[in-house]
Amino acid sequence: MCPLFSGSWGTRFYSGSATLPKVEGTNITGIEEVVIPRKKTWDKVAVLQALASTVSRDPTAAPYAFQDDPYLIPASSMESRLFLLAKKSGENAAKFIINLHPKYFQKDIAEPHIPCLMPEYFEPQIEDISEAALKERIKLKKVKASVDMFDQLLQAGTTVSLETSNSLLDLLCYYGDREPSTDNHFQQSEKSEELEEDTGENDKKSKADDQFGVTWRAKNNAERIFALIPEKNSYSYCTMIRGMVKHRALVQALNLYAELLNNRLQADVYTFNALIEATALNMNEKSEDKWNNILELLKQMAAQKVKPNLQTFNNILKCLRRFHAFGRLPGLQTFREMKAIGIEPSLATYHHVIQLFYHHENPSKGSSRIIYDIMNEITGQKFTPKDPDDDMFFQSAMRVCSFLRDLELAYQVHGLLNTGDNWKFIGPDHRRNFYYSKFFSLLCLMEQIDVTLKWYKDLVPSVFFPRSQTLIDLLQALDVANRLEVIPQIWKDSKEYGHTFRSDLKEEILMLMARDQHPPELQVAFADCAADIKSTYESQDARKTAPDWPANSLNCIAVLFLRAGRTQEAWKMLGLFRKHNKIPGNKLLNEFMDSAKASNSPAQAIEVVKLAGAFSLPICEALTQRVMADFAISQEQKEALGNLTSPTSDSDSDSDSDISEGI
Amino acid sequence: MLPRVSAVRPLRPLSCFPLCSGGPEVPAAATVLLGAPHGTARTKNNVQRYFGTNNTICSKKDEQPASMHEISKETESQESVKENTKKDLLDIIKGMKIELSTVNVQTTKPSSTRQLKSVEATINRLQKAPGDAPKKRTKSLSPELVAAASAIADFLPFDKQTTKSELLRQLQQHEEVSKAQKNGGRAKISVSNIISDMKVAKSATIRASTRPVHQIQFDEGSDDYMSQKTSDVKKSLRKNMLKGKRLNIFDLKAVTEETSETETTPSLWDIEFAKQLAAVNEQPLQNGFAEMIQWTKDGKLWEFPINNEAGFDDEGSEFHEHIFLDIHLKDFPKQGPIRHFMELVTCGLSKNPYLSVKQKIEHIEWFRNYFNEKQDILKENGIEFN
Repeated sequence: MCPLFSGSWGTRFYSGSATLPKVEGTNITGIEEVVIPRKKTWDKVAVLQALASTVSRDPTAAPYAFQDDPYLIPASSMESRLFLLAKKSGENAAKFIINLHPKYFQKDIAEPHIPCLMPEYFEPQIEDISEAALKERIKLKKVKASVDMFDQLLQAGTTVSLETSNSLLDLLCYYGDREPSTDNHFQQSEKSEELEEDTGENDKKSKADDQFGVTWRAKNNAERIFALIPEKNSYSYCTMIRGMVKHRALVQALNLYAELLNNRLQADVYTFNALIEATALNMNEKSEDKWNNILELLKQMAAQKVKPNLQTFNNILKCLRRFHAFGRLPGLQTFREMKAIGIEPSLATYHHVIQLFYHHENPSKGSSRIIYDIMNEITGQKFTPKDPDDDMFFQSAMRVCSFLRDLELAYQVHGLLNTGDNWKFIGPDHRRNFYYSKFFSLLCLMEQIDVTLKWYKDLVPSVFFPRSQTLIDLLQALDVANRLEVIPQIWKDSKEYGHTFRSDLKEEILMLMARDQHPPELQVAFADCAADIKSTYESQDARKTAPDWPANSLNCIAVLFLRAGRTQEAWKMLGLFRKHNKIPGNKLLNEFMDSAKASNSPAQAIEVVKLAGAFSLPICEALTQRVMADFAISQEQKEALGNLTSPTSDSDSDSDSDISEGI
Repeated sequence: MLPRVSAVRPLRPLSCFPLCSGGPEVPAAATVLLGAPHGTARTKNNVQRYFGTNNTICSKKDEQPASMHEISKETESQESVKENTKKDLLDIIKGMKIELSTVNVQTTKPSSTRQLKSVEATINRLQKAPGDAPKKRTKSLSPELVAAASAIADFLPFDKQTTKSELLRQLQQHEEVSKAQKNGGRAKISVSNIISDMKVAKSATIRASTRPVHQIQFDEGSDDYMSQKTSDVKKSLRKNMLKGKRLNIFDLKAVTEETSETETTPSLWDIEFAKQLAAVNEQPLQNGFAEMIQWTKDGKLWEFPINNEAGFDDEGSEFHEHIFLDIHLKDFPKQGPIRHFMELVTCGLSKNPYLSVKQKIEHIEWFRNYFNEKQDILKENGIEFN
């Protein structure tokens, strides 16, 4: 084997140069160079990614995150929220227990070893007093223990290295001298629920900060330790400034910056970013002064050769939003500046620009067209997360689309959302719901009904659960397009999505169904639907929560029953009018009269008149005359009618019993 | 490039005539006139920018080739010419606006922007230059054109004959320019297109002047034109957003310049920021494969592709390095018992899946050292080594 191989090796070696064979004069074309194929290295998730890309969303199925079990598939946004929270909290609870009692979870059954399944140690292991122990406590984010250790070290006369002191300062400044709260992403999002327009976004943010109770206290441990460090470097100052700004100690932060400059030190870009924020949040100044101060900071950055980053510009734009209309021109200039120096804007940048131009927009005034520029600019781009606010963009863009009533633009935004992995930027649950509600409402308003219904099938319920207002929008679209036959289906859906007790939705449905006459089959379907709605009102009565029956609904249900020929039930409805002390409409009474005439029952007709009389309705007389004219009635009945029309209506109890007779 | 500019310039004085006189047709004329200079200027602009960057590179290197420098100067001068043209026209349009408002009370605030936009729109269309034009251009001014020009002349409250001839002369000149450009393989400008534009742009200015911009598209008849127009309007606005005054605080060179960044361990701030970023696009998993990806990343799952190399770290060495070990036998004798022995060793090693390449080579090295140490015994027995 060996000689053969080495022989072939030799020829292979020479055949690389084309001239050699000629020199040798031998014909060696039979032996060609062997190119050993390179080993193909696969990314460990490449196969899975390829497979995952073949799976598209199934509009008929619940999202994958839910258990595939009919009982556990959510039917409303509240349920979906509940289920996700339950799942997450289960994971958290398990993790918590494992970490709380690590000694019971030592058995390593996996081969190869899986680190993430093993308990994490959160208790410091080093007991003695040393810098290593301090470092460990800092790493474990034990704020109080670290401070204690630092003090003990100092008392023992040990000097702590600058690096360790600075990382201690980091810890103290980041958490504002409080123990960090355990990460619970879901709880946070619950608190900042913002289903409606995020008008008070900034207020909410500050409120959220207050909720976590982290404000900068004067003379806290951070300031104390900062003062104790003998040779502070610029990093010490920087982290202090950042901490102060984070916890809204703005004036102190600006003062400390002045001190830093006095000590001939330089701030880094992150500190400048924080300072920009501090300048803008400072209460006592006018927008113009604030802007000038920001510009001053930027000039200092340029002078000190500190390179701005994306965060710098996003911060500026975010702050400019507080200046309202004044911020627009500076905002554009800032945007151009960042483009000019080659910093690629992120979605958050565009979000801030949109907010700047559309947040306080007055619909009567001509609106800005900047959203078109933005969309032209970014259509087809794929984004990666670069800023914590990146997930706000789609929501605000769709809000503007809805505000401008521009469907084409909305499609463009939606197209961008579906480019690459951009859909991941839609944000948490409530933001997704907001986005899709706006999008769908716009579709209802502007799109052809068939297309709208297609979207409805596609989006509901696999992507979002509609709010009742969204459904009302859809109903109105159906009304405009004259496709009322879909209404019973919509009612079924809305029941499923948890809007059973939304009276505005129910009234809208009933009103649309009862407004016009329809072919008999449709009337039957409508009547079924009405009966269903009626039953929800009844169960509502039992719950004694919501206000009782609105007169409109009663009217509509009765009319629907009448038209479908369910006379009995319609008459029962009349009883309900009395029970809830509501007044039937003239149209309804006339319809009853028609129905009585159709069944040729003068008794029923007289009941109607009696009822009208009992409510002392002005239509009473007209009805009486109709009865006289249309029906063959006995003398006795005539007299009864005469009594009714006379001003002295004898008794309520009479007509009450009459109605019950009629039933 | 230069000839084109000079060809365009004489148009300006002409433009003054109808413009100064005022009247509703004026913007239309302006549209035509502005169309050419701006259209050509655009291409120039690109060129200029190209050279501009070159120039900066040169200055950086401190060696400026004369020719390059000249060209960039040239383009600069052209740029200024373009600027002048533009400015003049803007002035004219401004002046005209006042005229208009006296004539037509309805023409309120938006008119000037409106006109500019229509100008922009025309420019953009001119650049597109449809392909059906060349046929007409072979003749000098088709009768259609003449008719159109006379129609316009009728519209004007001045001496019809003069206007008409002025217009025709104008068109002819224009045609020559475009012909020259066409022969030069440059952007084609269709005269008939301009004429049609004139008409529509005019009506748009007058009727739309009191309306918000975005409503216009519903009011005009010719659809394709209007849709094109709105997109053009958008484009022109986009230019406004991206191009304009900036803060002028930072310098591109200073910012992009690479500084030797000292690698430091990420601080708590950095780590937390990274966590925040990771949370931004965190979404519930979409399908089972996505979940498996997540598990793979967590380390809970065997890594794909599943083979017998899982967990075997071999520093990326390849198959042939494992199998063909004879190249490591170069230092051994070409024949004899040692050779025979070593061949058996390599054969065995090549079938061993548990050793890494490095270990295999070390194994062979060990034998080399071993035989080296035993040189004297080997010599005694008459076996040659080395």
